[in-house]
Amino acid sequence: MSEQEPVRGISVTGLARSFGAVPAVRDVSFEAAPGKITALVGPNGSGKTTLLLMLATLLVPDRGTIRIDGRDPVTQSREVRAVMGWMPDVLGSWQALTVRSTLELTGRLYALSKPAAAARAAELIHTVDLVELAERPTRVLSRGQKQRLSLARSLVHNPSVLLLDEPAAGLDPGARIALRDLLRRLAGEGRTILLASHVLAELEEVADDAVFLEAGATVDGARIAAARSQARGWRIRTLDPAALTAALAREKASAEPTSDPAETVVTLADEAAAAKLLARLVKAGVPVSAFAPSVGDLEQTFLDLGSEGSR
Amino acid sequence: MIGFWRGLWLIASIELRQRVRGVAWYVLLGVFVLLLLIVTVLLGITFALTDSAAAEAGVADDSSSAGPAIFSTIIYFALLLGTLVAPALSGNAINGDRDSGTLATTQVTLITTAQLVLGKFLAAWLTALAFLGVAVPFLLVAQILGGVPGSTIGVSILVLAAELGIVSAIGVGLSGIIRRPLFSVVVTYLIVAALSVGTLIGFSLGGIVLQTRVNVPASSYDDGSGTCQVEAGYTMSAPGFDKVWWMLAANPYVVLADAVPTHFNGNEPDDLFGFIKVGVRSAQLPIDPASYSYDDCGTPRNNDRPTSRDIIDRTVPSWFVGLLLQLVVAAALLLGATRLTRAPSGRLAAGSRIA
Repeated sequence: MSEQEPVRGISVTGLARSFGAVPAVRDVSFEAAPGKITALVGPNGSGKTTLLLMLATLLVPDRGTIRIDGRDPVTQSREVRAVMGWMPDVLGSWQALTVRSTLELTGRLYALSKPAAAARAAELIHTVDLVELAERPTRVLSRGQKQRLSLARSLVHNPSVLLLDEPAAGLDPGARIALRDLLRRLAGEGRTILLASHVLAELEEVADDAVFLEAGATVDGARIAAARSQARGWRIRTLDPAALTAALAREKASAEPTSDPAETVVTLADEAAAAKLLARLVKAGVPVSAFAPSVGDLEQTFLDLGSEGSR
Repeated sequence: MIGFWRGLWLIASIELRQRVRGVAWYVLLGVFVLLLLIVTVLLGITFALTDSAAAEAGVADDSSSAGPAIFSTIIYFALLLGTLVAPALSGNAINGDRDSGTLATTQVTLITTAQLVLGKFLAAWLTALAFLGVAVPFLLVAQILGGVPGSTIGVSILVLAAELGIVSAIGVGLSGIIRRPLFSVVVTYLIVAALSVGTLIGFSLGGIVLQTRVNVPASSYDDGSGTCQVEAGYTMSAPGFDKVWWMLAANPYVVLADAVPTHFNGNEPDDLFGFIKVGVRSAQLPIDPASYSYDDCGTPRNNDRPTSRDIIDRTVPSWFVGLLLQLVVAAALLLGATRLTRAPSGRLAAGSRIA
């Protein structure tokens, strides 16, 4: 990775930062590739926001290096800012200014000319679906609308690296789907997207890669692989609970009833075992209406890592 | 890279657009205009009455005019109101943005920290200058009443603008140094109070503490011989204001009074600036024992009491020292704010958020 030929994307090695005696980030290393959406997963207080602040040129790390499109946020903060869009978890906005002027002024703070900033603002208002609110002051926006404004603001200067902190918080289902499609499109254009969230179901839908944070450190790949290969629960829904229970007993599967009598959770070693069980249930004439992992991939990995950590 | 002045003005205009949309701001200006109106009308009536009284007594004096008096009073009023309002307008410029979550999103743009801090300072200054702006019609009234010299107009407005700028700079500087907005506003007020009132208190207390013994001559009248005897006199304590007069130099009101060239009406100043200037300058003079002397004989004193004109001529101006001192404090605070607001930041208090 030479300075002459900047490598695109985000690259972090051995990053640490503490506040006083409290270590917020202890040892974080990961790569986020261009064209992909990388999820940053971790429980509250695992250091996600601190990590993003360091990536966003706002905080100096105590140790370790960061490269954003090959540049160092500490010594080359100006160059990094020019290519990096940051959406904070705090929804701050200029209360008295309209949505449109907020985006125009942000564009001008990124050195766009007046007409270019106006054109970009109009385009983004459309992109994040705030057309009807464009001339309203930002203080009247709801949480979800502010969230969309914040996303638009991070996109004003057409950045190649996007750092998004909980972007879907407060969004309604429609806006959530729109966000997912937008992020896919942005990644498709070759941008690097790092998406921090603790709502795993939301990440599950969009993320290509995941970085797991635990108490300020990245979880290494081997542990993630191990967690992923662990046995996991599959949710089976049937029209005939009695037939399903009988069939599962014959298969000697470890079944656990749920609060819904029509549903049962079965622990299975891997996807092959799941496919086999489903085939046998169907063959046995059990009317199966749904057969799916009981929790998402990320969630399962996350939970497994958690239980492993507490052991 | 965004041009330095362009970026600075961009920040200032964002700041101004936020403030100007507030209703409270116009209410404040309205109240100020009302107060100025009352002051101008009252002063106008007072001067009209004295003038007509003088005319009846046949001692009408063309050079006496309400103009300078009204003008200087309005300028002082603008200084008072400006220094009272400027801390509230500037004292939360940076930490208030941090609290509302708009500081960090500005810092990740191509704006430099110097542009950010100076832009906010410029906006705060322009806002405070609005108080001078709405006072202009009243200043024109004073000008129409006549007798306000051009030098008084020019210098007083410049110094007033500088003083408002200094208070704004102190406020913006402290808002970047102190994390809590309420606290930085309060500290700005305390500094304004220290300059405006604290210097006066220091001056008075200092004068009392540094008392000097003076030997006062006395003479007594002997009834028996009918002669006047000069006695050895006695010693008494007199406040040593001549040792602490410099304390007043940093007072904004004194800076303003001292800077404006005094125009005399006879031997007396014709405006408020001049009267305050004479008062402050006379503190420079050492105690004159003769002024305490007790004369029983009623011998006519040789009339050597210095006139206002004498006092001003015999003493040194101090306004530029005071102004310079204030400028140094203001610049240091702005510089400190720039250093502490710089991103990426190294130090950060535990538990505080930067975004």
